[in-house]
Amino acid sequence: MSAGGRPTRPSGEAFWWALFSGGGVMAAIFVPAFILVTGFLLPSADAAAAAEGAARLATIAGWWPVKLVLLGVITLSLFLCAHRIRHTLMDFGMRRHAGLLKLPCYGGALAGSVWLALVLWGI
Amino acid sequence: MSGQYHRSHSRAWFMERPAYIRFMIRELTSFFMAAYLIVLIITLAKVGAGEAAAAEWLQALSGTGWKVAHAVALAAAVWHTITFFAAVPQAMPIYIGEDRLPAPIAKIVMGYGPWLTVTAVILWGVLR
Amino acid sequence: MPDNETITLELFRYHPETDSEPRFQSYDVPYDEDWVVLDAINWIKDYVDGSVTHRWSCRMGVCGSCGMMVNGEPKLTCAAFLKNYYPFPIKVEPLVNFPVERDLVVDMEGFMDKLQDVKPYIIRDDVNDTSGGEYRQSPAELAQYKQYSMCINCMLCYSACPVVGHEDEFLGPAALALGHRYNKDSRDQGQSERLEVMLSSEAMWGCTFVGECSVVCPKHVDPAGAIQQAKAMGAQEYFKRFVMPKGAGV
Repeated sequence: MSAGGRPTRPSGEAFWWALFSGGGVMAAIFVPAFILVTGFLLPSADAAAAAEGAARLATIAGWWPVKLVLLGVITLSLFLCAHRIRHTLMDFGMRRHAGLLKLPCYGGALAGSVWLALVLWGI
Repeated sequence: MSGQYHRSHSRAWFMERPAYIRFMIRELTSFFMAAYLIVLIITLAKVGAGEAAAAEWLQALSGTGWKVAHAVALAAAVWHTITFFAAVPQAMPIYIGEDRLPAPIAKIVMGYGPWLTVTAVILWGVLR
Repeated sequence: MPDNETITLELFRYHPETDSEPRFQSYDVPYDEDWVVLDAINWIKDYVDGSVTHRWSCRMGVCGSCGMMVNGEPKLTCAAFLKNYYPFPIKVEPLVNFPVERDLVVDMEGFMDKLQDVKPYIIRDDVNDTSGGEYRQSPAELAQYKQYSMCINCMLCYSACPVVGHEDEFLGPAALALGHRYNKDSRDQGQSERLEVMLSSEAMWGCTFVGECSVVCPKHVDPAGAIQQAKAMGAQEYFKRFVMPKGAGV
């Protein structure tokens, strides 16, 4: 115990912060371009153009280095979001449940990451 | 000690200062980003399900509602990028001897430079 | 400028022996464009109402004791000029996020405890051995922490930080920046001892980088930056301990 009587045991917050921090970098550098591609460049009302976009996406996402990048970037970005959402909920008055909030937030990010890994495995 | 007066914050404390509102907007970008990431994983799942399913999904994504949603997500993501790079010189100072690398240069070297490069590479990879 | 111009100060008043709730009291003060808010409060105390209680000392931004909320902003009142508010009234309150002792005076006890928690002094393993002479430090090594050593403990950053207001365990901007200042000092060997405290649950990780601490700091200490660096250092230490638990032997 310290002078102010605070516990001095290291907590898992360091681990979540590290994922948040890595996700912050990845999301900042990659996500805007991802949105441009999958939200604007590839979608098309025209069936032939959409099919061509789908084929293009399948070729790119099927290449294993791209799969690794997608896995890393999306997983870390999910944890960035989980961490910020958790702290925002704390800021909106759920601070007493800071520990409990970890389960839906980080658990959700973990579930998303596992789902993503399975999806990438299947491409 | 008795007799002290304790002031408390309201639930809407983030309305107290403009900087707190800006902070909240930055944090709320994560809700939109999370929503987009889920849509992105669905898109990849459709690719895994076959090109017919992916084509159908890409056709659906061309709807106005989806376009608006993606525009909001893009704005949120870019705002995350800008605010994240703004913190880089503070969070990761680089020293050359006694001198600290000036903030604008640090932002370009560790932020906007890599961002534009990666964005260009991704767009080239998709559009070529 | 005519001599009879005045400006209104609305002072937060609270005397625990008579008041159960604070109240605001207005005073008309002669307006002088060279005057700062602190001059006006001193004038009130000297010529109108001797019961007004406030802290001050140096009047030149060094001692850090005259911090108050001026129109809702944490400011050193010795550096807040009346001319920046004239002709509108100025509302002066004690620093927020601290218990009020009396009028404009807050209780600093909690802050002092937090400062002690980060062990803000050089820790050496060989403290008794002076045979090697002084501990040398290059200008480049000094540059690593100098900015974070400029803190005057005025506590403005604690009033600007929403996390301080919501989370009792949070050490706060000034204390964390000071801890980081010693962690970055090439003469210091107490990093892991200090991180012991900083790594605990909300002590440092409670910070969400709102960044206002650095905006209000009158000494440009940039606690927000220091805390992010300390977090990165703490995360490294965390993974190091994870890989090599304490007591596992070297």
